[in-house]
Amino acid sequence: MKTKIQTYSFNNTIITNILVLVSICLLFNGCAALQEAQQRRDQRLKERRNTDQLLLKRTDATITIHPKPLKGAPLGESDHYTFTFADDLHHHEDFDDAEKRSAFARSALTYMESLYSAMYDIFGFKPKQKIHIKLHHLLNGSRNRAQTTSSSGYIFRNGEITKNITDIEMDFPLSMYQSHGTRVHELTHAFTNIYAFPVWFSEGIAVLMQTEYANDNSHPKFDDLDQNLRVNQNGINMLEGWRGHGDHHAGPNITQWRYRYAYTIVTELRKFYGKDFYLRVFELMDEDLLYKKIFGRMSTSIVVYYFSKAAGEDLVPFFKKLQFDIRKLEKEDILQQIEKQKEMIRRQQ
Amino acid sequence: MIDAKQNPRARYELLIPIFALVLISACAVGQQWSENYALLDGAKSTDPLIIDGDYTTIGQTQFGFNSRIYNLDNHPPSEAVVLLPEEKKIYRVVINTTNMQEFKLMARNKDGKWKEIYDQRSNKNKKIDVRFNPPATTDAIKLIVHKTSDDAAQKRKNLKVERENHVAPDGTVRRGQMVYKILGPLKAPAKIAEIELYGFAEKSTN
Repeated sequence: MKTKIQTYSFNNTIITNILVLVSICLLFNGCAALQEAQQRRDQRLKERRNTDQLLLKRTDATITIHPKPLKGAPLGESDHYTFTFADDLHHHEDFDDAEKRSAFARSALTYMESLYSAMYDIFGFKPKQKIHIKLHHLLNGSRNRAQTTSSSGYIFRNGEITKNITDIEMDFPLSMYQSHGTRVHELTHAFTNIYAFPVWFSEGIAVLMQTEYANDNSHPKFDDLDQNLRVNQNGINMLEGWRGHGDHHAGPNITQWRYRYAYTIVTELRKFYGKDFYLRVFELMDEDLLYKKIFGRMSTSIVVYYFSKAAGEDLVPFFKKLQFDIRKLEKEDILQQIEKQKEMIRRQQ
Repeated sequence: MIDAKQNPRARYELLIPIFALVLISACAVGQQWSENYALLDGAKSTDPLIIDGDYTTIGQTQFGFNSRIYNLDNHPPSEAVVLLPEEKKIYRVVINTTNMQEFKLMARNKDGKWKEIYDQRSNKNKKIDVRFNPPATTDAIKLIVHKTSDDAAQKRKNLKVERENHVAPDGTVRRGQMVYKILGPLKAPAKIAEIELYGFAEKSTN
């Protein structure tokens, strides 16, 4: 009987200890779960706190204004830009004296410096040269077309070609400059033109930034890539052969379609492969630096080679389905192309 | 009833609340505005020119996502947002503007929703000074502008009424109907030099 009582008492002690241990475990788990829930809630609130608008910090860049610059010299200069008024704006009522032009240039450079910092935070790289902003009343007779022109130079050294950007000019008609989305679009070109992408990808990523970062819905996304596909008389996607802003022969409908379709492809890939998909693409390009050795613009096949590496799967079938004229490339193929280009240049010399 | 003449102690007892009143009012008078929260490190805005502390740089409000500023029948407002690095109690908002006439101020609450805190239907001042009591506790202020003094000029500039005549193959011209031609946005954004946000300074000067 005594043994029985002892066993009972022993069991009771064990059960109590187990219960205490379980309670402690539950308590700790509960705390961890509570902490996790709290973290999730904070994250949700933080995300919700981000407004759906492009928000910029003020800049601490140095801005210098020369109210009466010499002919051809910029009116304003900052850390990353110069600013000039085209002659056709000197007669505009808002800019018909030096004081008005100086005030506008200071404001413009201050804004553009803030935007530059924000873009640098996103891309992680920046142009090496200053960007020359030129403001026009009409640009090539139009007030609806802004453009960014990056001039390239090639250095031939020890049988190797190296491409460099020598100059970046951003031209805005006044009415386009007033659109924040357009500024983001053009600055994206200024940042990414070093890679010399095919026009459709260059414009696609610029519209992506304009739409999803600056909330400017000038080029809305298509609902379906297949249904909205347009091909030329050879059955090739009409994005190929796009010559960019200067492609006046295409007509406004085709041009608008090209912006929208290019943006749809770019944003769909980003949606599928993650928000940092294009940052991975840029990183891969900066690892092998082949873009510096390619003469002229990159072909779509080369861009898709990097896309596939960043995605971790072959994206050639996706682009073939969209009627792009491409083939699957390996790094050796790209190197061979570069060698052929070099050989051609040598012969021309 | 206390007779202060007969009881000198009562005289002092009467002075205590008077001193207390003087002290409290002195504190209130000495209460100072905080620094401008819009100039805090990490503050952001839809246009950085309105929070750069420089009255000579002029920023603008923006027309929102998908806004139909080209639409004749729609008059969507333009907006500017100032996002603070942390939540603050806002007792005073100062807006330095050259053309703003009709506007609202919104503050964002902890759930991320915008709540109206002020509505002004007409304004002719270049410096608009709005006080709040109780304060708006928030990390973001949104300015919604419904009307500016430049709207009419903008509309005149960008809206033209022209007759659309038809030219027949034989060269004769047939009078067509009048059509509206919209050459640009029909409303003007508000021009803003600075938006300043103040609470009370944390330490009293007394």
